[in-house]
Amino acid sequence: MKIKKIIALLLAAAFVLSFAACGGNSGGDTTKDSANKGSDSASASEINVCIASEPDTIDPALNSAVDGATLLAHLFSGLAKWEKQGDKLAIVADAAKELVEGVENEDGTVTYTYTLRDGLKWSDGKDVTAKDFEFAWQRAASTALAADYGYMFEVVDGYADIWETNDKDEYVNPDAKLNVKAVDEKTLEVTLANRVSYWNELLAFPSYFPVREDVVSNESWATDPSTYVCNGPYTLDSWKHNSLITLKKNPNYPDADKITMDTINFYLSDDENNMLSNFKNGDWLLIDGVPTNEISTLKTEYPDEFFNVGQIGTYYVCWNINENILPEGSKLEGAEAEAAKNEIRKAVALLLDRNYIVNDISQGGELPASSFVAMGLTDADGSEFYKNTGVSDKFDGYFDASAEAVETNFASAIETLKKYYDYDDATKKFTNFPSMTYLYNTNENHKAIGEYIQSALSGVGITLNLENQEWATFLNTRKKGDFSIARNGWLADYNDPISFLDMWTTASGNNDIQFGKGDNADVKAYSVDITDLGSDLKVENGTWAETYDKLITEIKACTDNDKRYKMMHKAEDLLMSTGCITPIYYYTDQYMLSKSVKGFFSNPLGYKYFMYCTIEK
Amino acid sequence: MSSKTALYIIKRILLAIFTVWVVITITFFVMHSVPGGPFVGEKATTPAVQAAMEAKYGLDKPLSEQYFTYLGDIVTKFDFGPSLKQRGRMVIDIISDGMKTSMVLGVIAAAISTLFGVVLGAIAALRRNKLIDRIIMVITTAFVSMPSFIMGSLLLALFAIVLQVLPANGSTPAGLVLPIITLALYPMAYITRLTRSSMLDVLGQDYIRTAKAKGVSGTRIIFGHALKNSLIPVLTYLGPMLAYIVTGSLVVEQIFAVPGIGRAFVSSITNRDYPMIMGTTIILAALIVVMNLVTDILYKVVDPRITLE
Repeated sequence: MKIKKIIALLLAAAFVLSFAACGGNSGGDTTKDSANKGSDSASASEINVCIASEPDTIDPALNSAVDGATLLAHLFSGLAKWEKQGDKLAIVADAAKELVEGVENEDGTVTYTYTLRDGLKWSDGKDVTAKDFEFAWQRAASTALAADYGYMFEVVDGYADIWETNDKDEYVNPDAKLNVKAVDEKTLEVTLANRVSYWNELLAFPSYFPVREDVVSNESWATDPSTYVCNGPYTLDSWKHNSLITLKKNPNYPDADKITMDTINFYLSDDENNMLSNFKNGDWLLIDGVPTNEISTLKTEYPDEFFNVGQIGTYYVCWNINENILPEGSKLEGAEAEAAKNEIRKAVALLLDRNYIVNDISQGGELPASSFVAMGLTDADGSEFYKNTGVSDKFDGYFDASAEAVETNFASAIETLKKYYDYDDATKKFTNFPSMTYLYNTNENHKAIGEYIQSALSGVGITLNLENQEWATFLNTRKKGDFSIARNGWLADYNDPISFLDMWTTASGNNDIQFGKGDNADVKAYSVDITDLGSDLKVENGTWAETYDKLITEIKACTDNDKRYKMMHKAEDLLMSTGCITPIYYYTDQYMLSKSVKGFFSNPLGYKYFMYCTIEK
Repeated sequence: MSSKTALYIIKRILLAIFTVWVVITITFFVMHSVPGGPFVGEKATTPAVQAAMEAKYGLDKPLSEQYFTYLGDIVTKFDFGPSLKQRGRMVIDIISDGMKTSMVLGVIAAAISTLFGVVLGAIAALRRNKLIDRIIMVITTAFVSMPSFIMGSLLLALFAIVLQVLPANGSTPAGLVLPIITLALYPMAYITRLTRSSMLDVLGQDYIRTAKAKGVSGTRIIFGHALKNSLIPVLTYLGPMLAYIVTGSLVVEQIFAVPGIGRAFVSSITNRDYPMIMGTTIILAALIVVMNLVTDILYKVVDPRITLE
């Protein structure tokens, strides 16, 4: 009996205590929170936004994500930065006094000499020196750090030596370094292997931001405000992991007078429904992502606040080049069989109605794609690269993706396929097309697109089974080439078509199509001729390694911008001639931005800029 | 405490340790057998980079060696290692961050549901078949049968979007109110029903009739005898309930974007963040095992008629 009483007492005490504890806990900050409510969610100099969940890292060299890059663009100041000038975006000097022209050396390399502005300070008060840039760049490109985006330094002289490996995947030159050095406190000299048109853009890329040696020697420096030292418009004020990152204006930043937003609260969430709730009730003024099934409603309900901007990326379907799609008993062999398969794949691509996909399925304002290099990437003369493919003057890209062309595309596809498969005129279906499997990662949008492709193909007698896999498993399967057709997508890291083209070299880790691998390694069916561009490369019926790989090497070594772009067009021509890439649409980025926010902009890479924002009540 | 009870407790503790070990072993090997890895992303890194990363985190060693190293680090140093995804952070820090939030959520929700559940259950029992009993039973039936994602979404739409009195985001203390309510409703309804039936059972007992016959006041019968004895089943439900709320709050954490352990657990799996998967699994498994153990022991303590063997 006594024990019972004690227990009862203890229980009662525990309840009272837990209530007292939670009362104190939730009571404590409520005032602060309710002050943040509704239209007061941010005073004129404070803004609440949500661009993604917890970033993997905010170390400029290690970051490989767009949300991380947005944070870094606020926290660091590189030699260059993105800025909105009138209606246009431009790359302007930031930590550098000016963005200089490179001087060409005798060996074809190009040297740039930058002078740092006066008064550059780290957030802990120390001076920013050219040495910090040198250190940061050497670190970011090093094998020791093995950063995902280390290859952003590929254009810098010395990079190739650092990463050269022997047959056993061992580095041959352990002491190799980038050709970059701090001449004095304020002068940084960097030599590029050859001139590239996007060099200034690279200078504004997070991998090129400076970091200080003594700061990053602590491996977890970038996880806590107390150890986070930066040099940009903002400092890291607080970081409640998985919940909220707060940036405060950095008074030491040389252009601090131009920064209009004092505090930016980055809420960390990836649940799009939750993000939308917070936008609707006025707590968050920008959310980067909306639920797909809400897009059509949002477009009509929030016409001034729903935004849909171009991104340099393509959503496409990739075919495993080693998958046999010829009918059973086909006598075609070697290059002939390869040519037939190319034609078949391209014909199947024409059976799809891309306008239906973007208007009725994905609904995000995407644009039907007819090339692999995405819309938004520019050509040598500044025009759209994809419009200059030269296949026909009547349409852009490699086929006509307009709604008007759907029927003629379909008819021509059927004619082509009839050459290889038996066609039953009564049912209007092919009878001996081997059945295939479409692999996609678990996601409603990918599934809906897969189902559409399935139904479009079954209309002509082609059986397509659908298989979905969880993200990491899917990546693994696709990389290994264990698929016949798979969903794919690519977003470029910088505005140069090479970012779309060099991923298809034989050895590339992104070569999901398996060009030059497996059976395809010995297939001699590819041709390239760039002798008219002053190169010796001319191969007729060669392997993928002898043609495409060589062509990419030539492009990377080319110092003449015009010729370089022409070569890139040839590379895309060769790539698209295989039919292994079926473009679906060009990506767009959807976000909601409150009408009250002025001065916001985002760049083509999807980074969002809040520093020049003001909020009108 | 009799020696028999002590022996029983020791036996149970050993069994608990064994259970956690089994969970560790199964999770470890199943996790490594699933395709994909922590350094496989949409944009591929070179094989050299891949190899460098694997060497850095010891993933290049044979699986059995990795297993024994891992087990050794946990037993000797309570070291769960670094997260492979959140570069520079230790698993134990990420877990403790998540647990703090989930625990606050869980404990408050458990307290609210117990308090209201017991009171409502008692009222329903004492007013059996009256209007108030019917109302309570209808409401609790609804709460028991409504899944938390529907309840959460309804509350969110009403209080955060229509009325705009509470935030929709769980990253601030005020933002925890809605998730707590969502979490509390199901166990509260369950406890209400449990208390009601148990109380009705007690009220029919001989000793209550005896007390009534002896002229003991109604309040004294209810609070001194009936309520106390009818709480035994409720008590046994508390342990599993707390474990359920803390570990099962995943859906609720997602709806309200609460930075709790549930979200960390799921994202660790999609990211193939091996040390995080192990860490969260071990902590959650241990929590459930410990809660069950405590409940069983408490059961014995409050009701001496029960023998533990």
